[in-house]
Amino acid sequence: MDAMIQLIHVSKTYDRRPALSDLTLEIEKGEFVLLMGPSGAGKSTLLRMLIAAETPDEGQIFVQGKNVTKLKRSEIPFLRRKVGTVFQDFRLLPKKSVFENVALPLLVQGASSVDIRRKVTEALRAVGVDHKKDQLPTGLSAGEQQRVCIARAIVNGPIVLLADEPTGNLDPERTAEIIELFKLINARGTTVVVATHDPQVMAQINRRAIVLQEGGRVRPSAHAMQVAG
Amino acid sequence: MRRVFYLFREAWANMRANRTTTVVAILTTAFTLSCVGIFLLLYVNLRSAAGWLQEDIKIIVYLEDQLSREAVVELEDRLKSDRTVAATVFISKEQALGEFRAQFPEDSHLLEGLGQNPLPASFVVTLAPQFRSPDAVKRWTERVRTIGGVAKVDYNQEWIDALAGVIRYIELIAIGVGAILSTAAVTIIGNTIRLTLFSRREEEEILRLIGATRWFIRIPYLLEGAVLGACGSALSLLILKGGFELFRQQIGATGRLSGIEHMITFFPVSVCLALILVGIGLGFAGSFVSLRRFGDGRT
Repeated sequence: MDAMIQLIHVSKTYDRRPALSDLTLEIEKGEFVLLMGPSGAGKSTLLRMLIAAETPDEGQIFVQGKNVTKLKRSEIPFLRRKVGTVFQDFRLLPKKSVFENVALPLLVQGASSVDIRRKVTEALRAVGVDHKKDQLPTGLSAGEQQRVCIARAIVNGPIVLLADEPTGNLDPERTAEIIELFKLINARGTTVVVATHDPQVMAQINRRAIVLQEGGRVRPSAHAMQVAG
Repeated sequence: MRRVFYLFREAWANMRANRTTTVVAILTTAFTLSCVGIFLLLYVNLRSAAGWLQEDIKIIVYLEDQLSREAVVELEDRLKSDRTVAATVFISKEQALGEFRAQFPEDSHLLEGLGQNPLPASFVVTLAPQFRSPDAVKRWTERVRTIGGVAKVDYNQEWIDALAGVIRYIELIAIGVGAILSTAAVTIIGNTIRLTLFSRREEEEILRLIGATRWFIRIPYLLEGAVLGACGSALSLLILKGGFELFRQQIGATGRLSGIEHMITFFPVSVCLALILVGIGLGFAGSFVSLRRFGDGRT
């Protein structure tokens, strides 16, 4: 199988405190991977590096064969258009409607109005909030806001979906719904990487887990660990 | 199309969100541009006045008192045959006296006591348009002064030269004041944009993370700066026009300078449009400076 994501000897330090140490890993195309570990293990740093929001001090990062660490500043937006991101705190624009929020990735690419209407409607329908398209995000529940955030991440058909603690603000019932959504997205061929510290999420997802220890090292033998459901 | 609409809507939303700073930025820009505009108006009108004076220059060739009629005719022929001369008008001693009495009726008694008419006969010479430059006029008068029968040659060049000097000073002041106040306008607009940038930094980060290019994020701020500059300069033109009309009315009401009100003019439409473009340019510059200094987030 082809590697969608490759990290080769990646290290990152913040104020002499290591966030990631000599990390090497590979995620296959179409794979669903969990990134596990306690707070401060470097999960978010790793995800941010995959969209070039952080640069490693050492090492190389490849996404679909493209070296992310060598990208010019002007090339970064084009990488981010191929990689959808879901945030724990949703990061929706509060003064824009659900429809407008989800339309943003298409708008920045210069999609036509017809395309925007069609794709946004499809994405909202896929996550089950199409009936809330005219509302502002502030009027939605946390679960609904996370669904809108997912719709925004998948609206332009990304090759990779990254989710940073996507269920951190949700109750168990909503968490299960969101996990099912990720599985559905993965089933359509998108590579999905979910960072979480919640063992319950790991149990529900039941896919390969990469476990990071504090200081950003991969736990020995956990690199290809298969978690039992 | 939708993207263009979005960018304009964002610029409008930025201005609405920071209404007070937007209004303050427009007013201060209008004020600073009005100050520059006053000098510019003064400069434009003095330049056109200098142009009229130069165009309208009349040289008076005074004749010696004892000159015979034949000598006068000979001199007139000589002047008329000169290719640099467009027209000559002979003013006899009697005509000169008559004009003096007509222009200064209260002072005409001064000449009564002298017994004989002290005013000399003269030729009023108009040079051809291509020979009206200060240098050409000077050369011509120096040549004519040496002709026999000519007592004196007089013209208002000194006055024109003095006016040209004043215009040069005003030009320098306008450039200096313009540069200082333009910097002020750029700073004011830049600070307004900076406030908007701070209030929307989280939104910008989200836009960057979903793949917006730097220019997609910057354009609404540049548009905002341009609109602030355009509104400021348009308002400054209104202020200047109002002030100009008031000044013209006041001049008309005072008897002494009556007539000047018809000579002074406001900026033509092309200059007004150019000033609005300057305002837009200053707004752009303000936004650009702010974006360069504060707008490029890490992500």
